[in-house]
Amino acid sequence: MKTSRRDFLKVSTLAGGGLMLTMTIPGMAKLVQNGSENGLNELNHFLSIDLEGNVIFQLTAHEMGQGSGTGLPMILAEELGADWSKVKIERAGYDKKFIGVIRETTGGSGTIQDHWDLMRRMGATAREMLKSAAADQWQKAKDQLTVDNGFVLETGTDRKLSFGELAAAASKLEVPEEVEFKKPVDFKIVGKPVRNLITDQVVVGDGNYGINMDLPDMVYASIEKCPVYKGKLQSFDDSEALKVNGVTQVFAMPALEPAEDMNHIQEGVVVIATSTWAAFKGRKALKVTWDLGENVTNSNQKIEEQFAKAGEQFENPVYSQGNYNKMKKEEGVSEIEATYINPHQAHALMEPMNATAHYNGDTCQLWVGTQNASSVVLNVAKAVDIPDDKIKVHTQNSGGSFGRRYYPDTSIEAAYISKQIQKPVKLTWSREDGIQHDYFHPYQESRFSALLKDNHFVGMEVKLIKTVPYGSGDHLWEQPYYVEHLDTYLKAVDGLVHQGAWRSVQVHSSSMGKECFIDEVAVELGKDPVAFRQELLAKEIETVKFNRPTRPGQQPFDEIVKEFRTTLRKNYRSVLSYIGEHQLWEKAKSPGIGRGFAMEDFFANTVCAHIVEVEKDDSDWGIHIKKITSVLDCGIVVNPHFGRGQVEGSIVWALSALKYGGIDIKKGVVQQSNFHNNKLLRIDEVPEIEVHFVPSEEPPTGLGEPATPPLAPAVLNAIFDATGKRIRKLPVKREDILA
Amino acid sequence: MATYQLNINGKHMSVEADADTPLLWVIRDHLKLYGTKYGCGIAQCGACTVHIDGTPVRSCVVPIERMPNRNIITIEGLSEIGDHPVQEAWKEIDVPQCGYCQTGQIMSAAALLDRIPQPTDEEIHRAMKGNVCRCGTYPRIMNAIKSAAKTQES
Repeated sequence: MKTSRRDFLKVSTLAGGGLMLTMTIPGMAKLVQNGSENGLNELNHFLSIDLEGNVIFQLTAHEMGQGSGTGLPMILAEELGADWSKVKIERAGYDKKFIGVIRETTGGSGTIQDHWDLMRRMGATAREMLKSAAADQWQKAKDQLTVDNGFVLETGTDRKLSFGELAAAASKLEVPEEVEFKKPVDFKIVGKPVRNLITDQVVVGDGNYGINMDLPDMVYASIEKCPVYKGKLQSFDDSEALKVNGVTQVFAMPALEPAEDMNHIQEGVVVIATSTWAAFKGRKALKVTWDLGENVTNSNQKIEEQFAKAGEQFENPVYSQGNYNKMKKEEGVSEIEATYINPHQAHALMEPMNATAHYNGDTCQLWVGTQNASSVVLNVAKAVDIPDDKIKVHTQNSGGSFGRRYYPDTSIEAAYISKQIQKPVKLTWSREDGIQHDYFHPYQESRFSALLKDNHFVGMEVKLIKTVPYGSGDHLWEQPYYVEHLDTYLKAVDGLVHQGAWRSVQVHSSSMGKECFIDEVAVELGKDPVAFRQELLAKEIETVKFNRPTRPGQQPFDEIVKEFRTTLRKNYRSVLSYIGEHQLWEKAKSPGIGRGFAMEDFFANTVCAHIVEVEKDDSDWGIHIKKITSVLDCGIVVNPHFGRGQVEGSIVWALSALKYGGIDIKKGVVQQSNFHNNKLLRIDEVPEIEVHFVPSEEPPTGLGEPATPPLAPAVLNAIFDATGKRIRKLPVKREDILA
Repeated sequence: MATYQLNINGKHMSVEADADTPLLWVIRDHLKLYGTKYGCGIAQCGACTVHIDGTPVRSCVVPIERMPNRNIITIEGLSEIGDHPVQEAWKEIDVPQCGYCQTGQIMSAAALLDRIPQPTDEEIHRAMKGNVCRCGTYPRIMNAIKSAAKTQES
């Protein structure tokens, strides 16, 4: 949508003096007229400069370890020409008015890329207004002025005025129509390893994590929930629980019906106490009888049986190009096949799930770390029957989220409990609750077939079966490698446990199949896997043909996909060129070392390649991952220290899933419960990691997730190179390697 | 319920609790010191690490009845103004991502450097492998411990 700058930014005088720029969004004017005038001031992403020259930035993006709370103000401060030490962050909280007006969720590795232009525009606009104020005061032309480190300076003299000195005058000026952005070569903050703004608090034990909430008269809650999905509470005996010191109340919690069925809340028994420990202890003393219901038959075996059945029922391909089935029957054509399995995975966030709620009869306030406050409002409103404009969410920082805190379950529960007891309450899930009632990374089976003719790769068939329906983070329809005949099929079965987003969503699973299978095809054809990818990416995209209708008034879907693929193939090629120029693949070759390669785009914006070096050893696992070399094309890297950290973190995350992951369901119950049986990678298991970013002046793309998906296939391909064994499922066990 | 006299961060504190209450929950819910984190409750993740008489201990599995006459230090008491060499190194290397586990990591690292001022990689691994970081800041934790060791040396 096009808007003039004047519509986009609104200037006003800060209370107490100073400049305040508020972002207004198309459509917002109407909302403000209907609501209160000060609604505008509550909008996110506004910038204030007070009379002391402090630059105050309002953050609505959720801070969960990805660093957006530092990265966004860096971009803004860069264009503004601010003194970084005077940049302060305030958390804007959440308001219902945002819904449908701005991007109110944090996820999809999208915060920096989605706000890049906006942050620059706000910074540049304020900078020009400060310059105009100085020009007026000095009676000089604006082009004789520069801005640096919180001052407007006059060229050729030593005259300067600070932002604080100019803020009041600037706030009386009109918002300029057009502003120019700085050139990347002039950047002084963006591209530098600026320290995380939360670090100073973290190292002394401060930090506003949800689990640290404390309110006057607050009580503590824990819930014993039915261990089987959608099972029911039959009866409970709380006589022993009520004898526990500190336990004050025990009551049943029905299956709550939130606005979205996927956020179904399990029936359970709530224990209220004067401390978290007393609530946990009271819970252990409960005697509960469940009607486990029909999902008691759920198990990993059942999921795989359903997959087998679904595998016989594929209908039309969702994507079709050429004629795979006709080609298959041609003379001289051979077919190779492989099937890859990705089990459910748990989030296992370090900060256990929690929420604090205060329902007082008319309103409900929530303090919670959430990636999706609008979902909290929507679902709490329905579940506790309160108008959504009476709900206020105070977003707290999260001790990790990775997709898990996208779902509003703890908020719904805490709000319900607070409504029952009419008191503020902090609900803390135990570690066991968090693992057993997770929103799991979906189970997936990925079947791949390739047609080979005259030593050429001429056709590919992809059949994906998973425990979530089409549309939830689907992947592989934007398959980047050129092949003449291609069919892609999708099928969903019911997972019978909560399914959810997990760092890199289903790209993690689909990528494992795609990148292992391309490696298998390369080996079959006797080609180097990196050179083979280069060959497949060299051909231009032809007509794209989806069996999916175009939405009314939108660009044809096939055209969107074609543009998308064209861009992403360019990034695949730039990553491969960088690897070639620096001979990274060749350098990884040495006697006794298995080399593996894989690359992936995450939602098509960032491309990441991993080169993995492994060697057989006599450790418990049977193999040692020696080194991982990562190359990413993600446009401008706003903060290389954070960027590298996200790559290292994604690698550690994916290695945990590869080595120890997988959830076992037996008789409907998740068998894993804590870190002893849902193991995570430890400090002594981290390989050497070398990270390269392809130099770029393009706008930044995402970094929180893209290094996750190519890790497993790169390791599996390296294990094949070292041992000759094709492992096609996670987790990788000692017996798979040594078999 | 009984009353326990505790020495935490050099201060005497009186707490009324059941004998089996883990030190972690006394620190968090009774004393409202929120730097010590709950992570697993079974001594598997290290988020709740505190020093008891100078030794790093998982406070989630230590009952309060064993705490009288012990010198307990939490992250809030590691230094007056957050300038312990390990805290300084954590800032210099800028270790945290989400930050949740980092107080436990810092307490384990500080105890390691008290015992072994110049640890080898293997010694760091042994001392730190009880502390989980889900964000995967392990490479930076290694660097920060080495940096703190270097500072102490000079």
